[in-house]
Amino acid sequence: MPLEATMMVIDNSEYMRNGDYQPTRFEAQSDAVNTVFQTKIDSNPENTVGIMTMAGKGPEVLVTHTKDLGQILQALHTASSKIGGQIDIPTSIAIAQLALKHRENKNLRQRIIVFVASPLEGQAADEKSMVKLAKKLKKNNVAVDVVCYGDGIEETTEEDKGVLRAFVESASSGDNSHIISVPPATRLLSDALISSSILSGDRSSSIPAELGGTGDIPAASGSGGANQFEFGVDPSLDPELAMVLRMSMQEAQAREAAEAAASAPPAEPTPAAQTTAAAPSSTPAAAPAEPTDDEEERLLQQALAMSEEDVDMEEGGMDEDEDEEAAIARAIEMSMRPQEEQKDKK
Amino acid sequence: MSTTTSADAKERGDVSLLEFLDLSQLDCLNEDSAHTLKSILAQKTRNTSASYLASDADEQLILNIPFNQSVRVRSIVIHGSNPTQAPRAIKLAVNRPTLGFEDVEDAKEPEVAQILSLSQADVMEGRPVALRFVRFQAVNSLHIFVGSNHGDEDTTRIDAIDIFGVPVETTKDLSGLRKQDE
Repeated sequence: MPLEATMMVIDNSEYMRNGDYQPTRFEAQSDAVNTVFQTKIDSNPENTVGIMTMAGKGPEVLVTHTKDLGQILQALHTASSKIGGQIDIPTSIAIAQLALKHRENKNLRQRIIVFVASPLEGQAADEKSMVKLAKKLKKNNVAVDVVCYGDGIEETTEEDKGVLRAFVESASSGDNSHIISVPPATRLLSDALISSSILSGDRSSSIPAELGGTGDIPAASGSGGANQFEFGVDPSLDPELAMVLRMSMQEAQAREAAEAAASAPPAEPTPAAQTTAAAPSSTPAAAPAEPTDDEEERLLQQALAMSEEDVDMEEGGMDEDEDEEAAIARAIEMSMRPQEEQKDKK
Repeated sequence: MSTTTSADAKERGDVSLLEFLDLSQLDCLNEDSAHTLKSILAQKTRNTSASYLASDADEQLILNIPFNQSVRVRSIVIHGSNPTQAPRAIKLAVNRPTLGFEDVEDAKEPEVAQILSLSQADVMEGRPVALRFVRFQAVNSLHIFVGSNHGDEDTTRIDAIDIFGVPVETTKDLSGLRKQDE
């Protein structure tokens, strides 16, 4: 979704010292804030992001409407030394709304992203007052996203869907507000966030459609589901890697085709034989990657296997430079050969 | 509250100010995403199509209508086709781009430029309602707060809006320049 002014409301209560998210809840949150900031700024250069804390002595706006990563990092650093107290969601949201209202560019839609890792208390636990607040936000065209983790994850039953969920649903107009819960130890908070509905709108605009830029991956999709994608990587998670893998495959295919075409007339069996010989050798290289959570490892193996394949075709050069040199040498050799043949015929 | 006919308006040289709208800055709070203010003003003429503006969470609306140059506003038309959803109490503010519901709900004159109560007949027939001309002399953006409707319904519906007045002659308005006799 383009053109947005975002206010991130972060939790800096005592609960943030908990180490159930690596390395601590606060550090995990800082990482997530960074991710959100980058995604928002990348999705549209006019977008602005602000940041405020909601615990400590009281809610405090640290940065309003910036496009500068340095300011965000500085704010996070400041906040990291002010961990304490309890969160106050209603007041914080009211302040965030005020900060958004005085944005410079009125064309920007308003959005508040709230990070909650503390149990709800006082007014924030009262569903009625929270729904009332949500209605007020909806009236003022403010979208709200909530990221629950740690103690912020509410226990829900069939009838009771939780105060925060009810809050987000009341504030949503045209499906513009979302809530996600990230339990500890599954994966990084920032990873969960980036593949969630909260950022899907911003990601889809920056990713070409052929790489799966629609980005409507449900937040619940775990790491196990990643293998259904080509190369075993979700293109919307890491578009650059997906693009590199795809390009490398296309290059390899093009080279193979060119070689097949070049080797056919002189009836030279070596390259084709080597490719077939290389193929089985590369498969075991990919096989040891066990289906564990670390997809990166797996990807690395796959990319490695692919590049090795290329190398093998070029008569076993181990280095990239050697590979290139070998290719040039071969090209020269090949270009010489027809001339020699012609000379022989003459 | 006196009403003027469109014939009177024409005699005074008033024109529809919708042609001076700045559509990119047009904004409406609490509008239904399916029935927006843009849909009834995008043509820069009085809306005659089937589209209309409807409120979303409750009956209140804030219409922010910016112009691309200063204008003087003499009268406005707010037309609604549904008698119970027709707007009743409205407040008009001038050049207040950050206006929010909490600013205007309890506001009285002269905090807002004018407080009006529209009659059902005016809205149904789309008659121009005269404003206090002196308070609308250098309008860069007009803000209309709709507080209630005639049937106390949850949604307020507005089918068309028109604004009459005169543009302030500025260098910005190059269309007004004419060759002078030498």
